[in-house]
Amino acid sequence: MNIKKKEVASEIFTGSMADISFLLIIYFMITSAFSADRGMDFALPEDTDTPEIKQEDSIDVHVLRGGAIEVDQKSLPLEGLLPYTLERLKQNPEKPVILRTDPDATYGDMIRVFDRLRQASSEWTDLDGQPLYNDVHGNPLLGIKTISIPTQREIENLWSMLGIQ
Amino acid sequence: MALIRGREKKAAAQIFTASMADIVFLLLVFFILTYKVEVDRTKMDLPDTWVRMKVPEKAAVISISPPDDRGGLPLTIRVSTGKEMSLPVSTDEEIVTFASTEVARDPNKEFIIKADEAVPYERVDAVLDALKQSKAKYIFLLSDQKTVDE
Repeated sequence: MNIKKKEVASEIFTGSMADISFLLIIYFMITSAFSADRGMDFALPEDTDTPEIKQEDSIDVHVLRGGAIEVDQKSLPLEGLLPYTLERLKQNPEKPVILRTDPDATYGDMIRVFDRLRQASSEWTDLDGQPLYNDVHGNPLLGIKTISIPTQREIENLWSMLGIQ
Repeated sequence: MALIRGREKKAAAQIFTASMADIVFLLLVFFILTYKVEVDRTKMDLPDTWVRMKVPEKAAVISISPPDDRGGLPLTIRVSTGKEMSLPVSTDEEIVTFASTEVARDPNKEFIIKADEAVPYERVDAVLDALKQSKAKYIFLLSDQKTVDE
């Protein structure tokens, strides 16, 4: 006797796949964030290689409240900062720049000046990276070697060491 | 008198959806690959700078948001190891403890300072001081790209 069996079609139901995929897309779209991932770097000196800096050996940049700057106790526009630094570094390229900020100034004020100082390496070289200026010994000036950002506590410690109130 | 003619076969109006699954999967793969957990989601107005470089991915984050007068929120400092979501801290000693623990675990640990440009420098100075006390070596100051019209 010939009995025909009805064959059950074997298939995976894919109708809901699109729903699941959309759900996952929405999840990843919402949770993934194009976060800010760039900024300025600076390395803190290690205890072993902290150089002794005398005030007369350095370029003192003081950011005042409101964003104005004083360089070596003389007020200077921000545009004049790099030309002044260049002239001083031509005499002695090892001179560090000390960036002090008034506690009442804003973080934005300080960053503006720090960014300006960091631009020295691109402003003092041409497009091929060749130096445009030389120091008095004829060595090329490629940028500011040391930018130091002392904290208020360090400045106070230094002053008390020097006996200044 | 209306003449009844043989009904014309109407072409069914439909949108071709067979490639939708491909597009959806392509988008899904893109979002999975670019997926990155942002450890600190504090919205703030970062300072703009010309000089910018990529900050390391696994660096610890210290965020400083300014006081919010409308919401009545005080200045808030949050810290994150770079792996977990950021948590608020109330004193500078807590920042020193946090940073010291991270530096003890990895002496070359990088720290990202994410601060709003309107934050008084006094607070940033306190955070820098805490990082110096903790013997942190590498610090990054998060910023936005500066453009000529600003």
